[in-house]
Amino acid sequence: MDSISDQACIVGIGHTEYSKDSGRSELKLACEAIGAAIEDAGLSPADIDGITKYTMDNNDAVDISRSLGIPHLRFFSEVAYGGGGGPLGTILLAAMAVVTGQANAVVAFRAMNERSGRGTSRFGQASTAAGAAGTASYAAPYGLFSPAQMVALAAQRHMHLYGTESKHFAEIALACRHHANLNPDATMYGRPMTLEDHQNSRMISTPLRLLDCCLETDGGAAVIVTKADRAQDLRQPPVYIASGGLGGGPWNHRFMVRDIESPATEATIIAERLFPDAGITHADIDVLFIYDHFTPLVLMALEEFGFCKRGEGKDFVGGGRLRWPDGELPLNTSGGNLSEGYIHGMQNTIEAVRQLRGTARCQVADTKHAFVSAGNAVPTSAMILRGAR
Amino acid sequence: MLSDFPYPIPEHGSEPYWAACNDRRLVMQRCDACRKFRWQPTPLCTFCADENFTWATLSGRGKISTWTVVTHPVHPAAIDRVPYVVVEVELDEQTGLRMLSNLVDVNPAAIKADARVAVTFTEHQSGQMLPVFRLTDV
Ligand SMILES: [Zn+2]
Repeated sequence: MDSISDQACIVGIGHTEYSKDSGRSELKLACEAIGAAIEDAGLSPADIDGITKYTMDNNDAVDISRSLGIPHLRFFSEVAYGGGGGPLGTILLAAMAVVTGQANAVVAFRAMNERSGRGTSRFGQASTAAGAAGTASYAAPYGLFSPAQMVALAAQRHMHLYGTESKHFAEIALACRHHANLNPDATMYGRPMTLEDHQNSRMISTPLRLLDCCLETDGGAAVIVTKADRAQDLRQPPVYIASGGLGGGPWNHRFMVRDIESPATEATIIAERLFPDAGITHADIDVLFIYDHFTPLVLMALEEFGFCKRGEGKDFVGGGRLRWPDGELPLNTSGGNLSEGYIHGMQNTIEAVRQLRGTARCQVADTKHAFVSAGNAVPTSAMILRGAR
Repeated sequence: MLSDFPYPIPEHGSEPYWAACNDRRLVMQRCDACRKFRWQPTPLCTFCADENFTWATLSGRGKISTWTVVTHPVHPAAIDRVPYVVVEVELDEQTGLRMLSNLVDVNPAAIKADARVAVTFTEHQSGQMLPVFRLTDV
């Protein structure tokens, strides 16, 4: 067994509404999302015997199994680095568990009250501790706290090296907002955005504007993974995990301040194996799900995962390429972290599954392969999903 | 309301760095084997894994590799300080030797990549001296 290619499938998806204040506990959100995914798969809680979670998620696997009535938990584990390791890392772990026979059906989920702050503190706010230790002791004394500020440093460097401009970052925000306006479940549904809106939005930390930054959301999202042979007779058409990977390196030590000139990055490390493992090339990808925490990092991800060369992202994102229905490579077709809801990337995978089932609102014609990546600038994860059709 | 950003907590491994700052010196670990510098203390050399090193004083001169002008405050102490400039400086001693700091006494509109900078020290409310940078002609 050289890779897990096509041996495991995503067979169920579920999510809560995406809101600014869920009005309920993070445990309730997790149970609702997981319950919906189990129902979608046509399974019952007794069929689930594994749970994988983001290390950052406050929910405890055993609390979830008790709440949902999962009687036998045979596999539980978690993946580090938040929106980097979590989104596809948890699904990869679930796939590895079912392929090796450690479990039969595993749920991977993320649930948080990140916007209301009921349980999870807002990622964009700084800790108000008087002192800073570890790596933060070299940043916090200078007022460098938030991911947005750190990403701004990398974005500025990219602009300097390659002539990238804010309007290129805007293309990503505009594509996601365009898709959100076709998705009534999206937070930004009914709120169209123009390039002018983007350019006039409040500066957060130069060159990053408000509309370069993802939403903050309360909600939950979950997927169910089982072995490919078991997936055949379930309720939904199976979506195959063609390949998956995790990636990180020593340069990831500086918070989210990236050395964008580094030949190896968390993305290049994954890409090296991801495409060969799936037996396809970039040209075979029909729809893109790139983790959109900040628009400049999406542009860098496109470059570093190999969809274009370093420095060519600014041209690649133009010409409507990323927009459904006419663009050749639609991006985050339900609106993404930027405009649908920020469930730490898990909602992008759910939309990828819809695309491969043929049930997406912005359905790309004849989708066979979806590329899904997690948050870069930290150690990250990615996956190629393959439709059964 | 906090009136300053968090102070750095000197830890096992980083105490000499912060102690030197209080002496108005910018120091970094320099590997005894391969002679390379590294920013942010590590137990072993990042380049050759040797565990022997010397705390070496740097010139404090370098160039701006990148920067950001923070305009949206996310910390109570930032409210009265925005806009302020966080800078990444590449030090003259070694290609790729970069550290984070503030660029002080500067008009944000005048900042350019590769501009020359020199270290200076500013006192944190806690009494700890912090290395920060100013634009310079040389
Ligand atoms: Zn060395």
